[in-house]
Amino acid sequence: MARYTPPEQSKAGQVFDIAVVVVAIFVALWLPLKLGLAGAAKSIDALDAKTWEALGQNPTMASIWEKLGYTPETAHDIIQNRFHYIIDWPTLIIMAAVLIGYFIFLFRASDREYRDVIDEKFGDK
Amino acid sequence: MWVALSYACWGISIVLALWMLYDWFKIDTTYSEEMLTSSREGELEAVSEKHRI
Amino acid sequence: MTITAEPAVQVQGDRVSLLRVLGPAHVWALGVGIVLVGEFTGWNFAADKGGALAALIVCWIVGLLYTSVAMIDSEVTSTVAAAGGQYAQAKHIVGPLMAFNVALFLVFAYTMLEVSDAILLGDTIVAKAGVEGINHNSFIAATIVVLAWLNYRGVLMTLNVNFVITAIAYVSIVILFFSVSPWTQGAVLKLNELVTPGNALPYGWIGVIAAFQFGIWYYLGIEGTTQAAEEVRSPARSLPYGTMAGMITLLIAAAMTWYVCASLMPWEYLGITYYPLWDAGKLTGSALLENLLFIATLLAALASANGCINDAARAWFSLGRDRYLPTWFSAVHPKYRTPYRSILFLLPIALAFAFIADLNQAITFSILSGVLQYTFMSINIIMFRKKWPLGSIRRGYTHPFHPLPAIVLFCLCVVTFFAIFLGFGSQLIAMVAFYFLISLWFHFYRYKFVRRGAQFTMPWPKPQGY
Repeated sequence: MARYTPPEQSKAGQVFDIAVVVVAIFVALWLPLKLGLAGAAKSIDALDAKTWEALGQNPTMASIWEKLGYTPETAHDIIQNRFHYIIDWPTLIIMAAVLIGYFIFLFRASDREYRDVIDEKFGDK
Repeated sequence: MWVALSYACWGISIVLALWMLYDWFKIDTTYSEEMLTSSREGELEAVSEKHRI
Repeated sequence: MTITAEPAVQVQGDRVSLLRVLGPAHVWALGVGIVLVGEFTGWNFAADKGGALAALIVCWIVGLLYTSVAMIDSEVTSTVAAAGGQYAQAKHIVGPLMAFNVALFLVFAYTMLEVSDAILLGDTIVAKAGVEGINHNSFIAATIVVLAWLNYRGVLMTLNVNFVITAIAYVSIVILFFSVSPWTQGAVLKLNELVTPGNALPYGWIGVIAAFQFGIWYYLGIEGTTQAAEEVRSPARSLPYGTMAGMITLLIAAAMTWYVCASLMPWEYLGITYYPLWDAGKLTGSALLENLLFIATLLAALASANGCINDAARAWFSLGRDRYLPTWFSAVHPKYRTPYRSILFLLPIALAFAFIADLNQAITFSILSGVLQYTFMSINIIMFRKKWPLGSIRRGYTHPFHPLPAIVLFCLCVVTFFAIFLGFGSQLIAMVAFYFLISLWFHFYRYKFVRRGAQFTMPWPKPQGY
């Protein structure tokens, strides 16, 4: 196989590529923050009676909370802030499809590129 | 005391950041680009033999 | 045809390369240093997702995952010893696009981990100060800039510092463990009153699965030891040794940390605090322990951020060296022999995210990239053994029970993806979409600047099946 000679990249091209990568990184990391997609899906199950018993804390636990400076009122929002694990099938299927699709693309495209590399490196001696 | 520490932290950050920028500029203007980017994967054994510390 | 693009090894001439100065202790310091902060914050969010017992269960099961990671990694990296670690492995075993992605996983995982460390450090100091009007930004900036400067000035000093501060942080966990008389329950530790049958698994078994996400945080980053491959004096020996020793150290630390923390605070609090070990120190009532754990938390965060800067810069540097990114990044500092431009480039990125993200989110970004990488590793080792069966090339270390560790690793990765889906699903989709788009960019555009055969630098025979 003929040796592949890559084009030399101009300075401006290099700078542009760096800019593309930086923008991509920021969009990927910052956009989910901005759209509120990042972070845990938790919500508070409010209770009317704000006592340690109602919050399910035994005397040992209550004494530790108090040592840490909490009262039943201030601890309420922490203790009752719960995850709600509901398996949302459509989202799960989308997630699985995106992940599997991504890995299949990765391995197939890599293999195509890899064959070139091996051809050139070990090619017809 | 904590507020002073906080200002000291800003100070150190700025000084060191400026020093790195200065050093970066100095290195990039002193040496050629070919030489700076001459590191190659897999050649290290031989190169490190030469620059034995 | 001979390989002319890569000139035969040149000794003379004005070339600069990274410096081979590190020993096994530095490898240990790099691996454990990055990870140990996980015991000081982060692992406890597993209790939030599934309860105190779930945090212990995942501590063990995820320990198994990482033991597989360490074994697989040791074999491949003792053979492919190049800066960039898993990146160079992917390049030689799977292909360029995979390598590009792996390098991005590495850079993201480490940069976001560095961001988490800096935020943790800033918040810890602010919490300690307890005065109005003090902001964590100055401490964050100082952490990131000072450590970048240390990294800029040379790898040996960087990792010597890491060794010392990691060791102090580790010893402080051991001191805490022994000073609460772990052999007697009831005096200081009250495990059976805090973890009761009623609250051990508040969400049931689904909570245990969900807890996998932060269980990763007990050990995330141990695989970073491979990044030092070009700077270790004898990689084939030091890397497996340092990585395995690090893994054992961490398993012990994780078990001690869980036992002390779960015996000292209710799981609801444990799940949300940023400083489980520092709080544990406070709750013992000893001012000495409290201050010790405060300092240890800072040191662990510093060690971790330090190692992360080191690793992320090496991965970025390798990308430049192979022209996957502009070659500009592949410069080595002629005096300090560090990838100085990569260090400088990643500095403002880390700084920006440390100012805008919060701890929980930064940790999740990091975990996501980590798990994507472990999924790759499980497939990678199978391909490695297939393309170069045992005996066809010299391996520094051969891991036992193949392919069992690879299968275990793969299954645990699938479970962890599901765990991330429980509570952080949209973030996962956003991240994968990013990797997918940037892969398209690389495959269809950027790859044209890459030399083909020259990427393969190992002196190996042709892989089987090609």
